[in-house]
Amino acid sequence: MAVTSTAAPRRARAARGGPLERQASRLFWPFVGPALAFYALLFLAPIAYAAWTSLYKWDGMGAMQWRGLGNYQTLLDDQAFHYAVTNTVKILVVGGVATFAISFLLTLALREMAGKMFARSVLFFPCLVNALVFGIAAGFLFGPTGPVNKMLNLLGIDAVPKWLSIDNLPAMIIATIVWTATGYYTTIIMAAVDQIPTYLYEAAELEGANAWQRFRHVTLPLSWEVVSVCAVLWTVSSVKVFEIVLLFGGGATVSSAPIQTWTTAMYVYYSAFPGSSVPKLGLAAAAAVVSLIMVGVFVLILRRMMRRERVSL
Amino acid sequence: MRAPKVLAAGVVAALALTACGGDKGTTEEKGGQFTYWSMWKENEPQAKVIKAAIDKFQAETGTKVTVEWQGRDIRTKIGPAIAANKAPDLVENGFDVISSLLASTGQARDLTPVYDSEVPGEGKKVSDVIPAKYLDAMPKDPDGVTRWIVPYVLNSAMFYYNKADADLAKTPATWDDFVKLCETLKAKDKACVASDGDNTWTNFLFMDYLLVRDNGPGTMGKIVNDKTGAGWDQPGVLETAKRIEAFVKAGHILKGYDASKYPAQQTNWATGKAAFHLDGTWVPSEAQKNLASGFKVGEFAVPTTAGGANTELDIIPLGFAIPKRAKNPEPAQKFIAYFLKKDNISGISTEAKNITPRADVPAPEELLDAQKLLTDSPSRLPIDGVSGDYLDKALFPAFSELWLGKATAEQFITKAKEGHLAYWKANG
Amino acid sequence: MRRIGHTIVWLLVVADLALLAWIFVTSLRDTQSIFNEPFGLPVPPQGGNWAKAWADGGFSGAAINSVGVAAVSSLVAVALAAPAAYALARRRTRTSNALTMTFALGLGVPGQVLLVPLFVGLAAVELTDSFIGLTVVYIGLAMPFTVYLLTGFFAGIPVVLEEAAAIDGASGLRAFVKVVLPVARGGLITAFLLQFIGAWNETLFAIALMTSDDKITLPVALVNFVGLQQYAGRDWGTMFAGICIILAPMVALFSWLGTRIIQGMTVGIGK
Repeated sequence: MAVTSTAAPRRARAARGGPLERQASRLFWPFVGPALAFYALLFLAPIAYAAWTSLYKWDGMGAMQWRGLGNYQTLLDDQAFHYAVTNTVKILVVGGVATFAISFLLTLALREMAGKMFARSVLFFPCLVNALVFGIAAGFLFGPTGPVNKMLNLLGIDAVPKWLSIDNLPAMIIATIVWTATGYYTTIIMAAVDQIPTYLYEAAELEGANAWQRFRHVTLPLSWEVVSVCAVLWTVSSVKVFEIVLLFGGGATVSSAPIQTWTTAMYVYYSAFPGSSVPKLGLAAAAAVVSLIMVGVFVLILRRMMRRERVSL
Repeated sequence: MRAPKVLAAGVVAALALTACGGDKGTTEEKGGQFTYWSMWKENEPQAKVIKAAIDKFQAETGTKVTVEWQGRDIRTKIGPAIAANKAPDLVENGFDVISSLLASTGQARDLTPVYDSEVPGEGKKVSDVIPAKYLDAMPKDPDGVTRWIVPYVLNSAMFYYNKADADLAKTPATWDDFVKLCETLKAKDKACVASDGDNTWTNFLFMDYLLVRDNGPGTMGKIVNDKTGAGWDQPGVLETAKRIEAFVKAGHILKGYDASKYPAQQTNWATGKAAFHLDGTWVPSEAQKNLASGFKVGEFAVPTTAGGANTELDIIPLGFAIPKRAKNPEPAQKFIAYFLKKDNISGISTEAKNITPRADVPAPEELLDAQKLLTDSPSRLPIDGVSGDYLDKALFPAFSELWLGKATAEQFITKAKEGHLAYWKANG
Repeated sequence: MRRIGHTIVWLLVVADLALLAWIFVTSLRDTQSIFNEPFGLPVPPQGGNWAKAWADGGFSGAAINSVGVAAVSSLVAVALAAPAAYALARRRTRTSNALTMTFALGLGVPGQVLLVPLFVGLAAVELTDSFIGLTVVYIGLAMPFTVYLLTGFFAGIPVVLEEAAAIDGASGLRAFVKVVLPVARGGLITAFLLQFIGAWNETLFAIALMTSDDKITLPVALVNFVGLQQYAGRDWGTMFAGICIILAPMVALFSWLGTRIIQGMTVGIGK
């Protein structure tokens, strides 16, 4: 190969881009092929397979039985799936609003702070930690006689909240997710906000805009693009939430966290790998397909909402 | 292009290697070989007892045993392994897990041949040393077989208390006595029972026992299997729920239970903060390292009610099973019979501190009361053998509201029935 | 106003650091004293927890497996994704754009969608409970993000470089290996790091696919350890030592290459 191409270089210059283009086109498939093969085999084909499996009743051991949309009907009737969807949507919406509000506040606070790089790094770190860890730590920290309650007692508060009662667990889980995710989104938003030229703020200040107005009319519109990408990221990551639910509170029964805390990912896992009943692979696949549809629907809704918002500016 | 090609070649070579490597276990040996998935981790006392027996078995028979100390998560792995056609030849677990994962789907081998075989060197059959009453209670598999498990641990569920505590000298015989005793303790500023709010299976033991005490054997099973939900409308069931409600409202449960995580309150019981604890017979060994000094563990059964007729006691056998797809079932069966030999299984009592199903192997000291109760009482399965997602999805969410004081007995019945109907709609 | 903001930020920072410190300190104390006094200092420090977690808790083997699976899968993922991303970044045809889009869409697929199919597929070729199986799954899972990240990265490298190489008579492949890759080293390292972190923490597939004790990765070891305590009584000290084993490499990587990690995870999004 190297031998044949030595003769041509000088002339190549005249037909600008010609040989380069040709090379690029020749190498395109060999370069893209392997990655595409892996991607098709491990991503695209499985999605199709999941959709197909979701139409069957199957324990993975015996034969598959055609159920049509029966598994989806089961999901509609299953209380556990209702919890799973509700929790996932709560994480997505409530957790999302909280995360972005806090991230913006932190961005503003961090703007001219001494040591801001250090602070940002520390706040960023939790997103590199396996969420199992937070689940376990929370179980200890918030136990009835745990450190948090002891501290509250010291402060003279005797009516300590029942942090880990089943009713409160979903809220605790959302709070933990928000806390671990904020640093990450703060960092992204901060990078975008740092790109905004300072003279815009100076101009706004000259016109007598207060802090809120500066935020509303300068910061927000100019970082909107990034925020809308972040919102999509958030959607995907909240539909994936799994680890933190699995062990939240250091659970009594590992293989079944209380159904009131389940997310769709948890539901899929539990249906496919149950602790003490027959695996329901078809049902698991149906729930998985629903969670994929959820991502799609939410992303579409978000894009519409964000677009409208941008127009109104 | 070169790099990916080399990589691809590497991956293919590696794949080929493992594909070959996977089959290397089939070398013929004198006593054959089998694979064994244990529910214990290698450093647990039960594992040590089993390991000692395996070593002897290998030496005596020339059989090669490949053990994997899976630990508790084995329950999530058996099904997938069978699905992937990688079934181990011998597995073990509680009867509930074996039943729902293997037996109920017809994936468990009938172990009657093991029961008919001799315990090596004892001149007795396996069926002579394991009382039939424990096995007859097992749920039937699709072929009507109940002998799909050979237990070597016989757990139960009952109350634990400190025999050295003068206030508890006389254990209550009836539920009313029990509640009265709780009142007395309350006057002395002592909590009656400990419970971890999230440990719903354990907490449900109260309701489960009182249901059969009030309404006779098999009540729970009948309720669950009546798809119309009419079982929940029986007046007797509401009455039992009212007992629970009254007990909860009276504040007899150690404070903080509604927001605690297992085993926090159990530990508090061990340190003496509550008088009684109702749970499986694994509690004494679990609580061992936290027991207050001078604590002498004793047991009594959940007291009787009204007629006093029902004295059934839960049995939770834990033992061996063989998947139908196992490739080497015979040597695995031989090992089961071998392990039941007195000098092997004794370690389960002396080292692992569990009760064995053999009445001639004395239970550890802290469980002697329990062993006597097991021998003397008629047996039943906890929750009449109902397990799996009916409990997690339909029943437990409703019951935990009752137990945590958030619902009245009537509200509990309504919610349980709703969950029941939804469950059968989804799974019927 | 600003002062309040700063104070809150610092409080959060201190809380984060305190939590880490507390986990570490607790891992050096025995369970009884943790239970009685959660904020005590380790007097004397109990190295025993670590030894126990490392040996009995099964964290040592799991740690080695985690390193192996994470390193190999990340390396292969980058090796596969780099040429693809380069080709996609350089060639702006309709096919190329469609493919770029296809890869990016993968970012929106939650892992649980692939759980059942990948399990069934791997079982069919006897690759469940196998390092190769898990590694292959991680490589597949890494494709969308790694291709996406690197496409953006290669697009930022001026074409002039390859033109110069072409003038010197280098073939396209040669130009890519000798000229583009060295320039792109930073991006490749970032892609490797991020994939490594992802694989290190991945739990869903590890827990579903790996069954043998000697093949599990760290998150599975932690889940198993918690499950074990269901029968054996709580052993907080050892559990926190196990948590530290999972955390340590992340802390080390982050202190060493923090800026690179942060940029890799965020800058691509801002653009």
